[in-house]
Amino acid sequence: MKTKILVANRGEIAIRLIRAIQELNYEAVAIYESPDKDSRHIRIANEAIWLGNGPRCDYLNINKIIKAAKKSGAKAIHPGYGFLAENPDFAKACEENDIIFIGPSSTVITNLGNKVIARQIMADAGIPMVPGSDNLAQGEEGVQTALDFGEKYEYPIMLKATCGGGGRGIRLIENAEQMREEIPIARAEAKAAFNDDRVYLEKVVIEPKHVEVQVMADKEGTTIHLGTRDCSIQRRNQKLIEIAPSMIGDKKLLDTICATAVKAAKAANYFNAGTVEFLIDKNFNYYFMEINTRVQVEHTVTEMVTGIDIVRTQIKLALGKKLAFSQDDIKLRGHAIEMRINAEDPQADFMPEGGKTVTVYRSPGGYGVRLDGFVYQGFTIPEVYDSLLVKMTVHGFSWNETVDRLRRCLTNFVISGPKTTIPFYLNIAKDKDFIEGDFDTSYLDKHPDLFTYDDNANEASKLANLIAEIHHREHNPYAA
Amino acid sequence: MERIVQGTSPAEVIRQLQHTDGYHITNTARDLSQSDFKNRILLHTDLLAADARERAGYFSLEITGGASVHVDILRKQVDPFLKLEILRDKMPTTMFQTLCRGVNLFGYRPYPQNVIRFTVKEFAKYVDVWRTFDFMNYIPNMQAVFEEVGKAGKINEPCICFSTGPEHTDAYYLTKVQEILDVTGTDIILCIKNHGGLGTPGRIGQLVDAIRQKHPDLPIHYHGHNTDGNDVGRIVAAVQNGATIVDAADASFTGYYGPAPILTVIQTLKDLGYNAATVDEDAVIETSEVIRDERQHYEAFESQIKGFQPTVQIHKLPGGAMGSSLEQASKGGFLDKMPDILHKELPRVQKELGNYWSVTPGSQILWTTAVSNVQGGERYGNPSGDLRNLLLGKYGPFPFYDPEDWIFEKVLGTDWKKVLKEEGGVEDIEDMDISKEKETLTDRIGEEPTDQQLVLYLQHPNDAVEFFKFESKFGKVYVLPPSIFLHQGGFEPGETLQFTDHTGKEHIVEVGPSNVDEEGLTSVYLNVDHHQRVYDFEPDLPEGATAKAAVISKEEILDLAKAGDARATFAGNICEISVEEGQEVSAGDKIAVMEAMKMQTPICVEIDGIVTAISAKVGDSLQPGDKILKVDSDE
Repeated sequence: MKTKILVANRGEIAIRLIRAIQELNYEAVAIYESPDKDSRHIRIANEAIWLGNGPRCDYLNINKIIKAAKKSGAKAIHPGYGFLAENPDFAKACEENDIIFIGPSSTVITNLGNKVIARQIMADAGIPMVPGSDNLAQGEEGVQTALDFGEKYEYPIMLKATCGGGGRGIRLIENAEQMREEIPIARAEAKAAFNDDRVYLEKVVIEPKHVEVQVMADKEGTTIHLGTRDCSIQRRNQKLIEIAPSMIGDKKLLDTICATAVKAAKAANYFNAGTVEFLIDKNFNYYFMEINTRVQVEHTVTEMVTGIDIVRTQIKLALGKKLAFSQDDIKLRGHAIEMRINAEDPQADFMPEGGKTVTVYRSPGGYGVRLDGFVYQGFTIPEVYDSLLVKMTVHGFSWNETVDRLRRCLTNFVISGPKTTIPFYLNIAKDKDFIEGDFDTSYLDKHPDLFTYDDNANEASKLANLIAEIHHREHNPYAA
Repeated sequence: MERIVQGTSPAEVIRQLQHTDGYHITNTARDLSQSDFKNRILLHTDLLAADARERAGYFSLEITGGASVHVDILRKQVDPFLKLEILRDKMPTTMFQTLCRGVNLFGYRPYPQNVIRFTVKEFAKYVDVWRTFDFMNYIPNMQAVFEEVGKAGKINEPCICFSTGPEHTDAYYLTKVQEILDVTGTDIILCIKNHGGLGTPGRIGQLVDAIRQKHPDLPIHYHGHNTDGNDVGRIVAAVQNGATIVDAADASFTGYYGPAPILTVIQTLKDLGYNAATVDEDAVIETSEVIRDERQHYEAFESQIKGFQPTVQIHKLPGGAMGSSLEQASKGGFLDKMPDILHKELPRVQKELGNYWSVTPGSQILWTTAVSNVQGGERYGNPSGDLRNLLLGKYGPFPFYDPEDWIFEKVLGTDWKKVLKEEGGVEDIEDMDISKEKETLTDRIGEEPTDQQLVLYLQHPNDAVEFFKFESKFGKVYVLPPSIFLHQGGFEPGETLQFTDHTGKEHIVEVGPSNVDEEGLTSVYLNVDHHQRVYDFEPDLPEGATAKAAVISKEEILDLAKAGDARATFAGNICEISVEEGQEVSAGDKIAVMEAMKMQTPICVEIDGIVTAISAKVGDSLQPGDKILKVDSDE
């Protein structure tokens, strides 16, 4: 019997995983909830197991998934991203049931998922982090520490409740005077909200670039990196466009960041594929943010510029193979850009367009374009999941060539039914700053004009509009 | 013979015309379109013909003016300026000609002087020969146009409108010619404008000869219509007696009311020893062949009644108004009354109203009055606003004699003498504040208009704005062939439509299915350049009031009016609601104005009372019997 691997995910990433599994000549076992019954990952998998009516609860149900894996005889589980991918309990459940979890151990996931522990590990390893203080002492002593901190790192400074989270208990301090005023207020507030009045400080990195490093490690501890990615173009902390490698011109700096990432992974005893995220400020200081212990949505851009199949490597590593390549084998070639084509209306604050049926799906082809998607003509987008339809990744030898290809492919990509981010991306592909590689996390805020486009503005569709009207009215009402 | 080319100075053109060996032809494509196709011949068809027409060596191509400027934006959805620009590109040599209604420009009512001058100045950038007329042959009404054409360095072709009857003598017309020459000087072409195709060949020959005797160096352009089937006869007589230019049109599109076929004119005159000076016969034939197949797509706009109308000599309706008159009769359900209207009432009204020239806007006044006289029971009982203005002398003095007093009394009321004294005479229309109009237009279209857009707006404010909106929604639709633009009925599923857009890019549209959802929303699926697109249409309003009201008889409408329930008495559009709900009105007060056949007619209330329910709004298209508003008597 062929080795079976269960794919504990849905959508485009399920298909991405199934492809790698089938290329390895293994069999892929899909799972699904009822709203996904028409999803393509079920059709292309070798087996598909229905978990329940969902939505979103069965894909998160560790017991059901472990049961499905056992029932199908799967040797390993790939969690993809999202859902249970970074849930240490899931990795642990796999370990306890003798199922290989394709990813790091539950201990590593636990450690890196806890910000305090993760920060401690990195601090011990000497990894640069956004400067922060310990918990401030009570009274004037704490205030004095805070003022010194402000002096040293310059304002603005973030004043945070130690037990806060999810954006609560954070205030932005612009100057020393405000610091003095706000500390007691913040304490009182923290006390009321979290029953804990401890507060600490963190430097604010203004308009940073978001740069991350793909790392891979085998069981023997050999750890290498696959270069950088720039994920600065985001809306409300959600990445929209990712680029490999980073456009920062200082190659030495990028080398340093990559070496730091490997060091960080080693410090965490990392195994399998992971991503070390950094913020880079205007003066090119870089700060560790976190390690993502899963395959990233944007892994495709790294695959395009390195030629390494990350998912295939993940599976092989999990099944006990050593890394088949060394750091010296990794050569970056050209540039890659990935755009997440979502069923969303950028002009309506990216309102999801779930529930709509894809009436037309025509994707671009030709040299240097890669598509990782799961929808098809006639497919109704479930309302209960995320709105990612397809990731379009273009690759080119030079940055200019890559942007040219991006523009061409976006122009030729037709999805009708739901509104999509395509016309918005097309504006980006034509934007001067983007073309010049000049963008950071403030890019969308600084380019409101990107949201101005008319989806039906081309001359042919205007004329066709009249033809449609003549057809509908059975005469031309504008010529009567 | 050298061809007269576009860009030649007026003096040089006149000199060349004076030395013409034979005669010249003007291809009157505009009048063909207006008279036989309700003005619908599209730029697409004119562009197909452009190459052959350019080679044909005409004196000029009449391609704009008359009602065409309005219909261009209203029904053909093409910018009249852009049309000329595109045609000029394809036809660099041929002079373009227009027909201008003097003070009425390309419309139906007098415009302010500054609007006239602005309009002429803008159109003169494209138009070389300006044929200008006034339906009362009142020369001052044409003065501003003459001056602006002169300033622009273009050719003036003033008209004497021609008609028949005891007053229409050579002597009369010679005085008119002299009046024209007195204001224009001699570097002009004189047009005999025979818009009805009236008179016999003998009569036309005689008139041309009379003018030639008096003004041997004055080039004469004969313009006629083939309504009675005999315009070739009149053209031949005109040329034999010294006319230098004659009008005709491409044979494959000739009909019953427009110009005669060019090739027939050439062949007939050749046999008599007159050569069409610079005309290439092969190109004339080729033009007809190139556009022949397009005619089928215009069928809906051809005349309802087939056959020549020799009785035009009795009713005198101009060719340009024949089609629309018959259409109105057909839509209004009084085709059976046409013999009465055309052969009895119209000649009678003409005589009663001073035997002036039946051409725009005078022909509409005659026609509307005759229809109203036959349909309304009481003659002159329901006079239009324009008839009132005619009697007040707003269009100019009556040329031969004034109508009888009883008509004045009917139209202007018992104190008509006082009214005439107070309101009568040619109106001095105040200049328009054009910069203010420009601001208004800027507000309405959301961007600063070009001068050309402003000109169109000043002519037809609402229709121009609608056109600009149409263009931003549907693009440059003049690229669509008549087989698409004038298509009758839906297209076949799977049918493939091809066209080239204004940038020269080819497009393919495949017709897909149409789905109707439970709310009645129709989604039309089209494959546009292999990309599927969906166009949604809201459900139509249910057919209710309009269809039912139409069955109310004329008598019932009049009875309802006496009870305060004002209904439309004829088919037309509401162009003004003059009162508000709750307003007190007295019998005889104007409550609304309706427009049909470009004639405005006030609707008056029959009783005293208070306006309670206004059902119609400005722009509504009403059928006879449709509700306008109600007045409750305040007993």
